[in-house]
Amino acid sequence: MYRYLLIITMFLLASCSTEQEGSSTETKKDNFDRSVMLQDWADGIIIPGYEVYLEKLDALRQSFETFSDNRNTETLRHLRTAWESAYIQWQHVAMFEIGKAEEIQLRGYTNTYPCNVAELLESIQANVNLELPSTRDAQGFPALDYLINGLAVSDELIMAEMHANPVYIEHMGRLISRLQSLASLVYDDWTDSYRDIFVENVASSATGSVDKLVNDYVYYYEKHLRAGKIGIPAGVFSGTPEEQTVEAIYSNKLSKTLAIEALSAFQNFFNGKPVSDGYEGVSLAAYLDYLNTIKTGADLSALINAQFDNARNALHELNDNFVEQIETDNIEMLEAYDQLQLNVVLLKVDMMQALNVRVDYVDADGD
Amino acid sequence: MKALKISGICLLFGLMILVTSCGDDEDFSIENPTSYIFERNGQSTVSFSGQTTRILMSTELIDLMKDKNASAETMLAMYRNEGPNGEDVSPFMDQDLNNETKSIKSKVAASRDFFSSNTAVGSQIKNHFENWISAQHDEVFPAWEQLAQPGVAGQIADGSSTRYVDARGLEFNQLVNKGLIGALMLDQMLNNYLGGAVLDEGNNREDNDAAIPAEGKNYTTMEHKWDEAYGYLFGTSSDPADPLKTLGEDAFLSKYLARVEDDSDFTGIARTVFDAFKLGRAAIVAGDYDTRDVQAEIIREKMSEVIGVRAVYYLVNGANALPASGSDFGAAFHDLSEAYGFVYSLQFTRKPNSNAPYFTKSEVDSFIGRMLGDGPNGLWNAEAQTLIDIADEIAGRFDFTVNEAAQ
Repeated sequence: MYRYLLIITMFLLASCSTEQEGSSTETKKDNFDRSVMLQDWADGIIIPGYEVYLEKLDALRQSFETFSDNRNTETLRHLRTAWESAYIQWQHVAMFEIGKAEEIQLRGYTNTYPCNVAELLESIQANVNLELPSTRDAQGFPALDYLINGLAVSDELIMAEMHANPVYIEHMGRLISRLQSLASLVYDDWTDSYRDIFVENVASSATGSVDKLVNDYVYYYEKHLRAGKIGIPAGVFSGTPEEQTVEAIYSNKLSKTLAIEALSAFQNFFNGKPVSDGYEGVSLAAYLDYLNTIKTGADLSALINAQFDNARNALHELNDNFVEQIETDNIEMLEAYDQLQLNVVLLKVDMMQALNVRVDYVDADGD
Repeated sequence: MKALKISGICLLFGLMILVTSCGDDEDFSIENPTSYIFERNGQSTVSFSGQTTRILMSTELIDLMKDKNASAETMLAMYRNEGPNGEDVSPFMDQDLNNETKSIKSKVAASRDFFSSNTAVGSQIKNHFENWISAQHDEVFPAWEQLAQPGVAGQIADGSSTRYVDARGLEFNQLVNKGLIGALMLDQMLNNYLGGAVLDEGNNREDNDAAIPAEGKNYTTMEHKWDEAYGYLFGTSSDPADPLKTLGEDAFLSKYLARVEDDSDFTGIARTVFDAFKLGRAAIVAGDYDTRDVQAEIIREKMSEVIGVRAVYYLVNGANALPASGSDFGAAFHDLSEAYGFVYSLQFTRKPNSNAPYFTKSEVDSFIGRMLGDGPNGLWNAEAQTLIDIADEIAGRFDFTVNEAAQ
């Protein structure tokens, strides 16, 4: 009882102090129930997201076992489909780099691209320790992409490579096990203890769950979705297109799918849409509506959703294979980037200010 | 009333003289160009190729220190530009550097003002760099493919980067990089070439007054000494006459002047330093040595400040990056390895109008001892408060606050 009183008092104190330093547009007292939102995030989106992801990895493991027992182009194609399916589901949890995922750097070990092929081939021969941070660019989905899709130009020739180098197949098994064990660590931590820690940490301070996850979420959008999937390959930062940095580059058809999937997953989280349809949770959009934050005549959640839709429409215009898109018409790629960029401002400035969440990341020193 | 007016004008005039010539009786007319371009008989008199050479040698050295297959012999040969028995060596990728007889080592802790009668300490400092280079080879390279742990050298993640540290969490390539900023570039600039002992040595003043060039050259010796100071800051600039547009083209002083310039609390510092170099050089041409010396003191103050700001910046950021859990040490170690190098460089700073650095060698040694002294495993045991205390003490002796430097 006293504990609850204390928490409520702390909450009031916290919201009082934010009130004083809040922006002038914010006149309403923030009594939004953060704990319900945190519960809906954890129980409706994050934990189920990892659950499905683990199922997809299990299916990938199964397909791999089948392939390993019967090495032919047909089992290879099944393996590829399972890899695609797991890679797509990964886009639904990649944004939650918090708790155990942050501690073990789940994203860095799962999806650092482009794959460093020379290092991958070296590490296959040396059976290198995949826990070394220097091996992050030679494991995960991008390394599997190379082995499943990139060894040769046709499935027949890929199988010829596999037959000539059975160690490639052994290594695929190691890479898949690594993905599974990383994901299990994170999922188990959420279900064992982290879920309650996360949900109970309602403080509106830099260490509160809302502040931390919103930061991780927007950081992911800026660095991994906007820059990683579109901006870097389109040459936004270097001045010249770098098509060799496209995600899933060896599959020739998955890059657009992954980008759109990531954007949809990102938008769904914004609107509190759980993995399974039905109940819509309390969300950032609802929180913004509650705060009734108005920007240029429309409410902010509607503006952000409209911009997500604009960005998705721009992505749909692109070639399924971003490499081809960049080589034939990079302007279209840049236009899609611009649509994604417009929401960086709405999310990182307008939304975070409205929520009174301080940005806790800066661009790295670079050296 | 009229008398008052006249005396007022006199006072004003007198003040103007004081301001322009700092009380000097002579009347100099200094021709201050808009960029660092000085000519005699239609030919440039600006030259600092030796400084550019040493910056390029240092660049190759710190790059090679990140190659686990590099031999200790090659890295040491880059530092010394000679073999163990004084023989000629060719360790550099850039053939022009192999043809040079200059070396990094000969100019480390070798300034006239600080080390000409302090060669024992100078020699210790020269050897620190050899020890760091050797330890990179002997301790870190063999541990390249293992995970670092308290008391165990190896690799450690820092965001998406991978860092390679010794058993205490130190990156030797950072120590060498940031250490050279002080021991080579800053010491030569502030305590050698900008000092009266070098600028006014021998007949330099008489020759400069009479515009007698150095033998076989187009510049006077004094002009050249000043330019050599300039070269340690701007020597790799793609436009050395107007270097501010592209500041930061090497990983040493230029880069960190740019970093401090980018901090809004210090914006303008790069222009101040450049303008002081330019006016001081123009004053030499005009024979106005008081104005020259005023500019030298401005450069000493501002370039010392750059070292102080970056030392505080990395100490505070390292302290903030110290993890609650065990996974994020990499970010802290990287910052603190850079901090180590900048703190080390503090002993080569120069308090204006004095013959002393902002921090003596023994003060610097004590800072470093404290950084590594919170437990048996160096940075693995470092406590944030220890680092913040050191940052406070450093900022306290400069004209900036910890917050201004650390943001």
